[in-house]
Amino acid sequence: MWKEIRDREAGKIRPKSFSSRIKFNRISNLQLTNYKDIVSSHRGSINSLQVDLTEGRYLLSGASDASAAIYDIQRATNYEGNGLIAKHKSIVSVDKQHEKGHKYAISSAIWYPVDTGLFITGSYDHNIKVWDTNTTKVVMNFKMPGKVYRTAMSTLATSHMLIAAGTEDVQVRLCDIASGAFAHTLSGHRDGVMTVEWSTSSEWVLITGGCDGAIRFWDIRRAGCFLVLDQSQSQLGRRPPVLDHSAANKVSVSKPLSTGQSSLVKSRAPQKKYTNGHGIKQSTIGRMPAKGSARQRLHPGMLSIQDRATAHYGAVTGLKVTEDGMYLLSAGSDSRIKLWDLESGYNTLVNFEKARLQTSKAIQLAISQDSAHVFVPCMTVVKAFDVWSGKMSHTFRGHYESVNCCWFSSQDQELYTGGSDRQILVWSPCKLITDDMDEGHTKDQDNWSD
Amino acid sequence: MSIWNYVVSAHKPTNVTHSCVGNFTNPQELNLIIAVRHRIFFLLQRNDTNSVSFNGILRHPSLLQGLNKNKYKAMGDVSDCIGRPTDNGQIGIIDPDCRLIGLHLYDGLFKVIPFDNKGQLKQAFNIRLEELQVLDIKFLHGCSKPTIVVLYQDNKDARHVKTYEVALKEKDFVVGPWSQNNLDDGADLLIPVPPPLCGVLIIGEETIVYCNANAFKAIPIRPSITKAYGRVDADGSRYLLGDNAGLLHLLVITHEKEKVAGLKIELLGETSIASTISYLDNAFVYIGSSYGDSQLIKLNLQPDAKGSFVEVLERYVNLGPINDFCVVDLERQGQGHVVTCSGANKDGSLCIVRNGIGINEQASVELQGINGMWSLRSSTDDPFDTFLVVSFTSGTRISAMNLKDVLEETEIEGFNSQVQTLFCHDAVSNQLVQVTSSSVRLVSSTSRELRHEWNAPSGYSVNVATANATQVLLATGVGHLVYLEIGDGKLTQVKHAQLEYDISCLDINPIGENSNYSQLAAVGMWTDISVRIFLLPDLNLITKEQLGGDIIPRSVLLCSFEGISYLMCALGDGHLLNFQLNLSNGELTDRKKVSLGTQPITLHTFSTKNTTYVFAASDRPTVIYSSNKKLLYGNVILKEVIHMCPFNPAAFPDSFAIAKEGELTIGSIDDTQKLHIRSIPLGEQARCICHQEQSWTFAICSVKNQSSTDESEMHFIRLLDDQTFEFISTYRLDTFEYGCSILSCSFSDDLNVYYCVGTAYVLPEENEPTRGRILVFVVEDGKLQLIAQKETMGAVYSLNAFNGKLLAAINQKIELYKWTLREDGTRELQFECGHRGHILALYVKTRGDFIVVGDLMKSISLLIYEHEEGAIEELARDHNANWMSAVEILDDDIYLGAENNFNLLTVRKNSEGATDEERGRLEVVGEYHLGEFVNRFCHGSLVMRLPDSDVGQIPTIIFGTVNGVIGVIASLPNEQYAFLEKLQSNLRKVIKGVGGLSHEQWRSFNNEKKTAEAKNFLDGDLIESFLDLSRGKMEDISKAMGVSVEELSKRVEELTRLH
Repeated sequence: MWKEIRDREAGKIRPKSFSSRIKFNRISNLQLTNYKDIVSSHRGSINSLQVDLTEGRYLLSGASDASAAIYDIQRATNYEGNGLIAKHKSIVSVDKQHEKGHKYAISSAIWYPVDTGLFITGSYDHNIKVWDTNTTKVVMNFKMPGKVYRTAMSTLATSHMLIAAGTEDVQVRLCDIASGAFAHTLSGHRDGVMTVEWSTSSEWVLITGGCDGAIRFWDIRRAGCFLVLDQSQSQLGRRPPVLDHSAANKVSVSKPLSTGQSSLVKSRAPQKKYTNGHGIKQSTIGRMPAKGSARQRLHPGMLSIQDRATAHYGAVTGLKVTEDGMYLLSAGSDSRIKLWDLESGYNTLVNFEKARLQTSKAIQLAISQDSAHVFVPCMTVVKAFDVWSGKMSHTFRGHYESVNCCWFSSQDQELYTGGSDRQILVWSPCKLITDDMDEGHTKDQDNWSD
Repeated sequence: MSIWNYVVSAHKPTNVTHSCVGNFTNPQELNLIIAVRHRIFFLLQRNDTNSVSFNGILRHPSLLQGLNKNKYKAMGDVSDCIGRPTDNGQIGIIDPDCRLIGLHLYDGLFKVIPFDNKGQLKQAFNIRLEELQVLDIKFLHGCSKPTIVVLYQDNKDARHVKTYEVALKEKDFVVGPWSQNNLDDGADLLIPVPPPLCGVLIIGEETIVYCNANAFKAIPIRPSITKAYGRVDADGSRYLLGDNAGLLHLLVITHEKEKVAGLKIELLGETSIASTISYLDNAFVYIGSSYGDSQLIKLNLQPDAKGSFVEVLERYVNLGPINDFCVVDLERQGQGHVVTCSGANKDGSLCIVRNGIGINEQASVELQGINGMWSLRSSTDDPFDTFLVVSFTSGTRISAMNLKDVLEETEIEGFNSQVQTLFCHDAVSNQLVQVTSSSVRLVSSTSRELRHEWNAPSGYSVNVATANATQVLLATGVGHLVYLEIGDGKLTQVKHAQLEYDISCLDINPIGENSNYSQLAAVGMWTDISVRIFLLPDLNLITKEQLGGDIIPRSVLLCSFEGISYLMCALGDGHLLNFQLNLSNGELTDRKKVSLGTQPITLHTFSTKNTTYVFAASDRPTVIYSSNKKLLYGNVILKEVIHMCPFNPAAFPDSFAIAKEGELTIGSIDDTQKLHIRSIPLGEQARCICHQEQSWTFAICSVKNQSSTDESEMHFIRLLDDQTFEFISTYRLDTFEYGCSILSCSFSDDLNVYYCVGTAYVLPEENEPTRGRILVFVVEDGKLQLIAQKETMGAVYSLNAFNGKLLAAINQKIELYKWTLREDGTRELQFECGHRGHILALYVKTRGDFIVVGDLMKSISLLIYEHEEGAIEELARDHNANWMSAVEILDDDIYLGAENNFNLLTVRKNSEGATDEERGRLEVVGEYHLGEFVNRFCHGSLVMRLPDSDVGQIPTIIFGTVNGVIGVIASLPNEQYAFLEKLQSNLRKVIKGVGGLSHEQWRSFNNEKKTAEAKNFLDGDLIESFLDLSRGKMEDISKAMGVSVEELSKRVEELTRLH
């Protein structure tokens, strides 16, 4: 690291590559921390973890005992062990005792992306609640048709405040915090929706994974999904060396993503002027196989073969978009992890090493900021894979029961994992000076044990 | 200091990253364009320089080559919402047939901006590029469709090239005509070969490969990393390659009938480490460098004695990268010199940067023992000077300009050249006057014969004298003051006065309406240390001013600037007093005292370009001038000056003669004050530097590469003399041991001053140093003596003197060491207490008991040392994730930091916060995008701090950056800040960056997570560009501001004096 610091000083490496190199090194050296301890206040398995996106300081957890808690991960509440171990106790916590708390397990707890003033919990008691962090009061409640599996909010959104919710029901619902009502229902899945994820490149694009094995892409401004991922569509032979390849199909697929907001926003503007009734009319126009631009909005539901495509055999249990918005990782109950190219919607066929995944529950994946590592809960361990080669680089052993969720804080290069053993574990880059030799041994064990 | 900061670059970046040659301004003229970060310079015919300033970092300089053909360039925002910025640097290329621009800005995306047939840019689009680690992309020549060649690395670290045709209609790639797998592992650079050969050269570390659809030629080369290339011939058969050791090679593609037959490579010689090479013409080559001085070289046909074909014709000084610097006041004048550790690898150097007025030397001769100098004209009407009278203890020599404009010795018969001359002057009616200790001689300047002589009364000799065209005032022993008037051929003693003490200096410089006659005489006295003003011709004492102290006045001068009359009085200890003088009653007001040097000063007036200056000759020669009715002092970049006189011969108008120790120089003055750089090549890279006043030495940590390719390095602590900058002592560190930090300090209970050096053992197998040392040296007889050493558990990134102890930042810990005396009388460092909780505590500054830490990635935190507990505790931190590159303490509450994304920030301690949470948080109060990577901050000033200037009160910080910028951050009072902020927003409307990029956007704080408008920082470079605006534009701004142009100019000019 000293060499890198020196080279940065002399201008031999760019500051950006300096930071990404150091981050990469640190991520490669993650291990169970010996100086940071999150004192879990939960009495049930931890289902959801998220660090806030504004300050990178508050960890929100949701657990099966219907409790949610917030921990300050930057400032310890107290120190133990001669000041060497920082204890982080929950600073805010809500549970069943709360007059408006959830009745059953919280499956999803997320921060409002704009600030830490609100957080959102989704529960098996069919409710999604929006909480005021400072007063710990429920400010909004959405009654859902079934158990809530996963909720998500777009980190990019500037023009909407929608919570996307995947539930037992086949429909994906968008709950609008601004109005307190359901803004949309998105129909297409043939079974419950385990996981929902917003695109990181467009605030209008939502990705959902269902128990039917399908991963669907929705542009929330239009009816219907515009893309269903197909595990048999691969990138091989995508660019034939001859010119006569008909790009029409692919271009139409990639268009809504690659041209980004500019063209889409334009098409949106006139929409506003019309009444709702007219909006329906427009979509009927869209169905007619008319001109090029209209064709792109074509409801892919028409093509029944494409609509039945599956991404996984069995349920899709986890989804994660890379931070650059170019790739999607999915995990399924078939114990497979797949990497998808988002522009084309093709399976990249990266062969992720075999790992046993939970089948019954949604799992929360985490990806490092440079998209080089993905962290996947695999029963009682968390495995880190190299995203591009699919090779397993690390196994994190620490939980006694199955791990449900992980969150990677790119600010500190720390991994937080929550499991059914009610523990929240912190995995951090090994301390640079090993004060005692024990630390070194643990690390060795981790590497050798499989 | 305050939170309102003004940032200005005192020395613009000099680190040349790109260059290209073409006929830009005129089809007949060959221009060289060089890009220095966010500025582009057009060098026309090698000396005329125009510079264009961009708001934005120039990222796609190769687009310039497109300029060559297109003569226009459009700019637009090409940032995308998708993708991750490339790690390997952004690439911008133009199709050789100008069909499109290709940009590789984000990993996995290739952005295409097509041209339509009128040459205008059309809507851009992205093409997915599957290759993840793209190293280089170039367009191929001679292809019917635009074709790119991509050099990339796969995830097994093997490198390959691939070609793609860009199908504009389909907005996609089509796999191109050829590809080549498994190249040299170090392949890093592609050179497209122009027609008729076409194809591409792939430059690796050990081989160079030529590749096209049907040919593959390779040659091995000596292992080297090629950093830059320049094409010699238009047909692309010869290339210049520059490697990271500064060796220049010539690569030749041999070909027959447009078929490539092979490659040949030849070593030409050594240059600076090139970052860009441009072949100009006729064997002239421009080498642009980021690590050393840029050069203009000539390639000779025959090698010189050392076998080198390279002849360096010119060097362009480059300060970048400034690894470290220190502000020293070598002459103890209140003016800082910045000594930088500049350059990298073999091009490392120390640069001494100082602000001052330069002298253009025109001629100089060796002459010992000069006592005085005067210039004389050959007739009263002659506008130019002819004679130069030089006085020595034993006689007087007279030189004159002859017809060939050569200064040769001559004689004026009427002058007594056997004795020392006390004063000379031109007098009316074509006469000259010479004052010696015994007489005053009036001589005709035409016949050169003595016309009249006034003899001192017997028993008395003249001690001091002065004269103007019509008057002579002289003093003989024991307080006799004699006043003579000069008539045509006659000297008349008009008045005599007896003063109580001896007279030390006199002046009758005419400053009234009559330029030949002075109403007043200024007299400096021995014994009572006073200056007196006498009315002429009656020698009536009208004013007596006690100077105070016991240092006698050595020189007085009456002068006037901008209609205000002053009396200046220089003392024997280098101080200068100045008063405003009322001409009618001789009243002295507004007394000011400044220190200009340590030696006696003599004052002279001279004028250049119709402006009057006063030259104060001493050990620190200074020029005094006035601007906006304020006296300003500019130091002259000269060593000790004994005497000076204006000398204005026809051949060198507006010159002056300067007598230095053993030398007489004729020169003229640079009328602007600017930075002067003296560069001392080291041949190795200095990493950190500090100065020790007590031993008159500098110490540096330096790195020497043993050979160009070998990774092995040697690390030294070197001691340099602070005057000669010669190595006087060297301490060699262990193998793998790096010098990380250096400090000169003293400890409590010990009078000695030590150099402390922090080191790290960087073992190849270790990711992070786990071992280091703190070495304590004392300088004895010019040698470094190791007194004590202490092993540490990591790299010592920073050292600070702290309450008579030593504070070290060691990996993630801050540790405090005591300097204790052992029983055997030797001393050692003993650990006292520490603080952990950082990722890497890289930058540490202290003030009192406060410690400010800049972390690798956790922004700034504030610690305090608790004396009673003997412990270091954290008080507050900034919770943002800033990757710091330097920190500094502005005042007790405000701390300044620079971070990885070229931003500056200030944070404030919130000790009045209501809750623990509030008190524990450093509040971000200022944010600004500097666009430069700051390596070091340091309190200090580049200009002389004088009490009577407004800017003297403004505290400043100097910073140094990777690109060789030396900048100044000044803390302004709120009122001034508000005024300038208003001016800045008005200037933004008037001054537009090239391509219309917004200044506001450019200066916005910007990192991966957020973009926030700049606050509490002002762009001094923009504000100072007000002075370069046309009058019309100035008036527009003045109207918008409601302040007159003069007032605006005055306030902006004041700011320019900060640097």
